[in-house]
Amino acid sequence: MRDSFSTYHPIVNFVYFVMILVFGMVFMHPVFQGIALTSAVIYSVMLNGARAVKFNVVYMIPLLLFMAVMNPLFNHAGVTILFYLKNGNPITLESILYGAAAACMFVTVIVWFSCYNAVMTSDKFIYIFGKVIPALSLIFSMVLRFVPRYKAQIKVISNAQKCVGRDVSQGNILRRARSGITILSMMTTWALENAIESADSMKSRGYGLPKRTSFSIYRFDHRDRVVSIVMAGLILIVLTGAVLGENTIRFFPSIQLIGITPQSAVIYIAYFTLCMLPVIINLVEAVQWKSINSKM
Amino acid sequence: MEIYQLKDVVFTFPEQDTATLDHIHLTIRRGEFITICGKSGCGKSTLLRQLKLILTPHGKRTGEITYCNQPLHDMDPRTQAAEIGFVLQNPDNQIVTDKVWHELAFGLESLGYDNQTIRLRVAEMASFFGIQTWFHKSVTELSGGQKQLLNLASIMAMHPSVLILDEPTSQLDPIAAADFLETVAKINRELGTTIIMTEHRLEEVLPISDRLIVMDHGAIIADDSPAKVGETLYRMNHPMFRSMPSPMQIHAGVENDLPCPVTVREGRQWLDAFLQDKLIAATEVTSPVELRKTPAVIQFKDVWFKYEKNGPDIIKDLSFEVNEGQFYCIVGGNGTGKTSTLSLLSGLLQPYRGKVQIGGKNPAKVNAAELFTHYLGVLPQNPQSLFVKKTVELDLYEMLSFTKLTKEEKTAKVESIVQFAELEHLLHMHPYDLSGGEQQRAALAKVLLLEPRILLLDEPTKGLDGFFKEKLAAFLKRLNADGVTIVMVSHDIEFCAKYGEVCAMFFDGSIITSNETKKFFAGNSFYTTAANRMVRHRWSEAVTIEDVIRLCQATATH
Repeated sequence: MRDSFSTYHPIVNFVYFVMILVFGMVFMHPVFQGIALTSAVIYSVMLNGARAVKFNVVYMIPLLLFMAVMNPLFNHAGVTILFYLKNGNPITLESILYGAAAACMFVTVIVWFSCYNAVMTSDKFIYIFGKVIPALSLIFSMVLRFVPRYKAQIKVISNAQKCVGRDVSQGNILRRARSGITILSMMTTWALENAIESADSMKSRGYGLPKRTSFSIYRFDHRDRVVSIVMAGLILIVLTGAVLGENTIRFFPSIQLIGITPQSAVIYIAYFTLCMLPVIINLVEAVQWKSINSKM
Repeated sequence: MEIYQLKDVVFTFPEQDTATLDHIHLTIRRGEFITICGKSGCGKSTLLRQLKLILTPHGKRTGEITYCNQPLHDMDPRTQAAEIGFVLQNPDNQIVTDKVWHELAFGLESLGYDNQTIRLRVAEMASFFGIQTWFHKSVTELSGGQKQLLNLASIMAMHPSVLILDEPTSQLDPIAAADFLETVAKINRELGTTIIMTEHRLEEVLPISDRLIVMDHGAIIADDSPAKVGETLYRMNHPMFRSMPSPMQIHAGVENDLPCPVTVREGRQWLDAFLQDKLIAATEVTSPVELRKTPAVIQFKDVWFKYEKNGPDIIKDLSFEVNEGQFYCIVGGNGTGKTSTLSLLSGLLQPYRGKVQIGGKNPAKVNAAELFTHYLGVLPQNPQSLFVKKTVELDLYEMLSFTKLTKEEKTAKVESIVQFAELEHLLHMHPYDLSGGEQQRAALAKVLLLEPRILLLDEPTKGLDGFFKEKLAAFLKRLNADGVTIVMVSHDIEFCAKYGEVCAMFFDGSIITSNETKKFFAGNSFYTTAANRMVRHRWSEAVTIEDVIRLCQATATH
C-alpha cells in the first residue's frame, strides 16, 4: 500500500519521528509503552507489509523475551523479593518488570526506526540538512552518487584482474593479499583520474560562483500546515502530562505510578493519536479515495 | 552574426616545444552546426577547451578569441557558465549528484536562481528531453545513453547560446548515439543553439552538420560543407578520408561527375543515376570463403543464465560452437546478453542450466592459473581496469611477476610484445596518459604476455577513431593468422563486416542466426553495413565499401 504520510513535507516527517523516538525512549509508563509499541508495529506492517511481520516475529519477539529474562538475572534491586537463586541472589518483582519495560522500549525504538528508514529517504534527509548547512547537502548528495559508483568499479576491476589470474580469490595468501592491495591502488588511481572530469563538469556548470542556492522539489503546502498544527497540539498535551508526572513510572526500590484519572485519560488519548497519526492519515485518505472512486 | 572568432590562435602546453594548436583562424556564426574531426591527438579537444575559459588547460597562448565581438577573457565567469555549455566525453564522470532532478538543477543552483525559476526551467527541460518518466530516479539506474542525455539536459537548463560537445557519443552504443545526436540536432533546429562538436561517428553526424572542419597536427586542413570536405580529403589522399561515410568513399572511388552523396538515401539515388544506361555487373565478387574444418574449442549447449533467483533470464537456451582458429564476431543490441556470454565463457559467471565448455572443460571449475595462462585471454571493455603500475613498461613486467622465468627470458618476452603492439615510444608513460587507442593496445599487449590460444574481446573498438581501428584490426588479423581463436563482442557492424570470419546475431538472450560474414550481412536488410544498405537493391551481396567500388568499376568498364 502507498504510504501517504511519506508524501508530506520532509520537515513534518522528520519532526514527527524525532518526537516519537524521544517520547518512546523517555516515557516508561506501561500505558504509554503499550500505545507506542502497538502503533509502531501497526505502522511498520502498513509500510513494509509481510517483510515487517516477519521482522517483528522472527527478531523482535525473541529479543524482547531475551532482554526481559536477562535483566532480573543481573539486577537484584527492588523490595519485593520473589525467590532466591541457587547462588543466593534474590529475584525481585521490580527487576522483572523493569526488564520487561526496558525490552519493550528497546523494541519499540527499533520498530520506529524501521518506519523512519522507509519514510525518510535519502533525498529528504539531504533536504533537511541542506536547510541547516547548504554545503553539506551537496556533499551528501555527491557521496550517495559516488559510493555505488566506486563499488561497481571495484567489481569491474576485480573481474578484469580475475581474467589475468590476479584476483583476491586466486593463489596463496600472500598472492591474494598482494592482488587485493593492487586492486585498491588501481581504484585510487582510477578515482583520482576520473574526478578531474567530474571537477571540469562542475566548474563548467558554474560551481564555485558566489551565492549558490539549493533547489528542492518539496513544497510546504496547506495539508502540511494542518498536520503540523495538529502535531504541535498533541505534543503540547503529552508534554503537559510529562510535567505533571503522568507519563513516567518509578521502578526502584518499589513500583510507583499515577493511576488512571480523567486527566490522564486525555493525555493517553493524545499520545495514542500522535503515535497513530500516520496510520490515521493513511486510513482517512484511503476512505476518501474509496468515496471519490464510487462517485466517479 | 559571429558568435566566436579565433584569430591566429597558437597554444603550447607547458614544457613542450611544438604547438598543440597551430595558427588557428576560425569564425563561427550564430546558429551553425559545426563538426570537427581528426585523428586522436590532433588537438580537437584542446581547441574546444579554448572556447570556455574555465576549462582551458595551462599553457602559453597567443592570438585572440572573441565571443560576440568581445574578448573571451573579459567576459565574467557567471555569463560564461550560463552562455557556453560544455558536454564532455564520459557520461558517468559528469554526473555529480545522486538524483536525476538534482542533477538537472545543479547548474541553476550554481547560478543562484530561486526555487521557483529552477522549478520552471527544470520542468521545461525534462519535457523537452522526455525525461519526465525517470525524473525521480537515482542516476545509478540509468543507462549510458540516458546519462549522457541527462548531462545535455542539465546544461540546456542554463539556456546556453552555444553548446560545445567533446566526443559525446564515444562511450555509447550505436542506438543510444543516434538518439543523442538526434536530440542535439533538435536543439540546433528548434532552439537555434549554436553547436560545435567533435565526433567519430561521421556517418550519423554529417547529414545534420552545416560545416565540417578537419584538423591535423594542430592545424585546420579543411573547413567547408561535408560533401566538399570529403572531396578535398580525397584529393589530398588524407588518412582521415577513410573515416568519412561509406557513400562518400564509394563516390570518390568511382569515376563520375555526379554530386557527392552523404546519407544512405542520397547514396541510393546516386547509385541509380550512376547505373542508368549501363550494363550492371554481376554480383559474383565474393569468392565464397571456405569455413575451416577445425575442431570446436568453445561449446555452449542449451545454456540458461540469470543473475537473481527470481530475476529474468539473461541468456536463454543458447547453443553455439566456435572452431579453433576462427575470428568469431557477436553483434546485437544493448542488454541482449552479449557481455554475460563472455563472462560465462571466462568462468566469471555460471549457467544454472546447460553446459559451457572450453577445450572440453568447464571454465568455472578449472584452476584459474591453468585457465588464464597460455590458454584464455580476456580483454575487458575498459582497458583501464587492467593497468596497475606507474608506467607501461612496469605494467608489462608485472604480468610476468608470478612466472618462473629468468630475467633475460622476461626481457625478451616483453621486448617482442612491445614490438608487436608498437609500444616502443610509450613505454615510460603512465598508462592513464595514453589515448584510447594506445590504452587498448597496451592492454592487449598485457593480455598477450600470457600467450592465450583463445582471445575474448568485449567492444574493443569502443571510442576508437577510424585510424586506430585499422591498427587494431591489423593486430587481430596477425594473431588470428598465428592460430589464435578470437571471439569478439561488438556493436561495430562495419568493423565486424570488414574483419570477421563468422558473425552471429544476438537477440533476446540467444543467437538468432550465425553465418560466414559476407553471407550473414547479405542476408540482413537492416542490421548490416551502410555500404550494403546503400546498394542492396542492386547488389545484395556487396557488403564492404571495397566490394561496391569494385562492382561500380566493373560496371563502368562494360
